[in-house]
Amino acid sequence: MIRREMTNPEIDELIDSQPAPALPADRLKQIETAVTADLKPVRPLAPDSAYLAGLLGIFLIACIAGCFIGPHGWHVLSGLQKVTVLVPLAATTALVAFSVVRQMRPAAKHARSSALVSAGVFVVLLLIMMVVFQPAQESAFLRHGLACFRTGMVFAIPAAFFLALLLLRGAPLSPLLTGATAGGFAGLVGLTVLEIHCPILNVYHIIFWHVSVTLACIVAGIVFSSVTFWRWPSNR
Amino acid sequence: MERSSEQQMEESREIPEPSVTTLEQLMVRYQQADEIATRSLIQQLSPQLYRFFAAQLGNSGEASDMLQDTWLRIHRVRHTYRAGEPLIPWVYAIARRVRVDSYRKRRRIAMREFVVDVLPEPASAKDEPADLPPFDQLIAPLPASQREVLTMLKVNGLSMEEVARATSSSVGSVKQKAHRAYERLRGLLQSPRARKGAAT
Repeated sequence: MIRREMTNPEIDELIDSQPAPALPADRLKQIETAVTADLKPVRPLAPDSAYLAGLLGIFLIACIAGCFIGPHGWHVLSGLQKVTVLVPLAATTALVAFSVVRQMRPAAKHARSSALVSAGVFVVLLLIMMVVFQPAQESAFLRHGLACFRTGMVFAIPAAFFLALLLLRGAPLSPLLTGATAGGFAGLVGLTVLEIHCPILNVYHIIFWHVSVTLACIVAGIVFSSVTFWRWPSNR
Repeated sequence: MERSSEQQMEESREIPEPSVTTLEQLMVRYQQADEIATRSLIQQLSPQLYRFFAAQLGNSGEASDMLQDTWLRIHRVRHTYRAGEPLIPWVYAIARRVRVDSYRKRRRIAMREFVVDVLPEPASAKDEPADLPPFDQLIAPLPASQREVLTMLKVNGLSMEEVARATSSSVGSVKQKAHRAYERLRGLLQSPRARKGAAT
């Protein structure tokens, strides 16, 4: 005997035939009382462009400060290296900033997709770095590397702090994504400063020590966000 | 005795007209601390939010607790709603976050609890129900993401676009989850007794 499969409209009909659970009236009253008891006018969140301008400000201030500590890297980079490294770096940072701003509002479009695209652009950036920079002899790989890592973090940490201040008014819903993107933004600020500041063109130095600033910030962002997410003003 | 036109006008001024005012307009007035709009918004949205929780939990007590949590969270983050944007995805994005948080909280509590009595065994997939099971039991074997999408689409009546925004995914992904959920449901409803129940 061949049994006929149910069609989609039949399944819909079946779902529609289910009785709707009734919401207890006393609970509805309780909710109304709780919400209206603390009713004050609120100022809606500023437009995305205002927050993007704030993040751009953080990024530019960090770059300018990077030039003040010595733009040695800028002087030794060739024109091709400047374009192929700094343009994708700026693009990744812009996409990450866009994603962070979008995450401040629930159900905002492109919050997740822009974060995914920025991760893709970052991978492309790493591949470009492997092509445009060559391996070179470096006498103090560890010492120079640690100095670069420290410099990168010196710029990334204040960037993360100011970013957190901007984010405080938002209502991010995904601790993992928000932590990763906010950490990523701070890490990219540190990486950009290092590309302007560091004169070492050894590909291993750049991939290992410079990029590790971004990766460390992403990990720190995820950990910090997971721990503090439940104390965030919107979740308390 | 016929009422005067002035009296009628007075009455029409007093009675709020929620059908004329959209949810988005009510939300904007809620941001401005309008109590009538706030009450109206709660009354209009709560039944469908309650169904969203109840359909996935099958426990009316927990569903009403989550509904209250959702409203308290909506109240705290009401400034993040932007006028002109669709309200339903915004509300459901918060509601699903509340559901996830509540699930984690329950799991943490369950891990610390000791079983002191023999609990009734949950119905296994092999057991054929005597009649068509309620919706929450029917969709219980589905993965959480498919259950959520199906509930939003079919129980709450959200559009694909609204579900996509509420779940931070693409319309294609929502369509795929819904399609898989239907496939799975079709398989579950193949059992002769369920079919019989559906027919009655």
